[in-house]
Amino acid sequence: MAELVLAAATPHNPLLWRAMNDPVPDDLQPIAANFGRIREAVAAHDVDVLVVIGTDHVRQFFYDNSPPFVVGKAESYHGTWENEVRTFGMEYVELAGHRELADEITGRTVLPETIDLAVSLEWRLDHSYVIPLQYVRPELDLPVVPIHTNASMPPVPSVRRFVALGEHLRDAIERWDSDARVAILTSGHMANDVGGPRTFAGSPDPDFDEAAASWMRDGDLEGAIRVCSDFQRLLEAGCMTYQYLNAVAALAAMGGRPADFAEVTPSRFASSPFFLWGSR
Amino acid sequence: MSKYMVDKFIRAVELSDAAVAAYVADPAGVVDAWLAGGGGPTGPSDDRELTTAERDAFAARDYAALYALGAHPYLLWHFTEAVYEHEYTPESGWRELVERYRAAVAPQGIVDYIP
Repeated sequence: MAELVLAAATPHNPLLWRAMNDPVPDDLQPIAANFGRIREAVAAHDVDVLVVIGTDHVRQFFYDNSPPFVVGKAESYHGTWENEVRTFGMEYVELAGHRELADEITGRTVLPETIDLAVSLEWRLDHSYVIPLQYVRPELDLPVVPIHTNASMPPVPSVRRFVALGEHLRDAIERWDSDARVAILTSGHMANDVGGPRTFAGSPDPDFDEAAASWMRDGDLEGAIRVCSDFQRLLEAGCMTYQYLNAVAALAAMGGRPADFAEVTPSRFASSPFFLWGSR
Repeated sequence: MSKYMVDKFIRAVELSDAAVAAYVADPAGVVDAWLAGGGGPTGPSDDRELTTAERDAFAARDYAALYALGAHPYLLWHFTEAVYEHEYTPESGWRELVERYRAAVAPQGIVDYIP
């Protein structure tokens, strides 16, 4: 059976792509170092395939058709969008998919009983997927199963559905008749406001950041559920803060155990999550 | 429906370099041309409709007004960046635009942006 060997949560702040170039500015060196830590962990765990849980930023999915969760079943994916190349200086990339694992996750004919998942066979991945992969696996040589969680177009799935997603992923991976070594990489934020009243002014809510780091450090899934059940509380921490729940899905996938590494790294933009659960 | 259309027009501009260039050259012309297009009652789903206030806010590149009208904050910021960045100077660039944008929206607090 396949094995879930690692989970990691990283930021996907696309402003880093220009700002964190050689030489890395002093204030961004801790961010670069923490991406490096997760890059080394992925390499050390001999990962064969990556499940990447991110949130499309109203590029592929919009209010004409906004599913709560989407699993990519394509053979390959184009990465990044014209507006992201323009705005962030990102580079177009090509990524291989992993149809077999995607089928295990969604079911081929009938969806799993525990969670309803939409599927996509044609999906251009935005920076939520491309940026973490470029820092965590710059070779871009591992096949991916991208999963979109709607965390930016209310109504959004409840935190308990993110937990159900994480638990389902573990089950599907462990049920898969394969010797593959699978990692879950989640992409998201701590408190983060883009376009709201506290845009790019450092962390909009250090109290939330501190609590949200402790849920990972202490393995406090119930604490995460309790606070993240309050949409208004997260909205007040910034309009993109709900993407933190992608990390909650990782915590659930790892059985709610404390992260082996949990750090929230301040930066000039907002604070960045780095959580890691390994098995080596 | 209206907030949805505001967000839809933002995306129609911001996702494409060519559309950004056209809009920057003639905001009112592009918004009016957009309103005149669409799928109509028998074509592929592509309705287009803005109130006068929404249309005028786009014609004026007025991000403070669009924020008040309930544009999605994430979309609105990136739209603002896209349609103002050609005006950057060595003295006033991205950081200054962020400051102007924040000063315009902060007094409004969190506006209901859910369509």
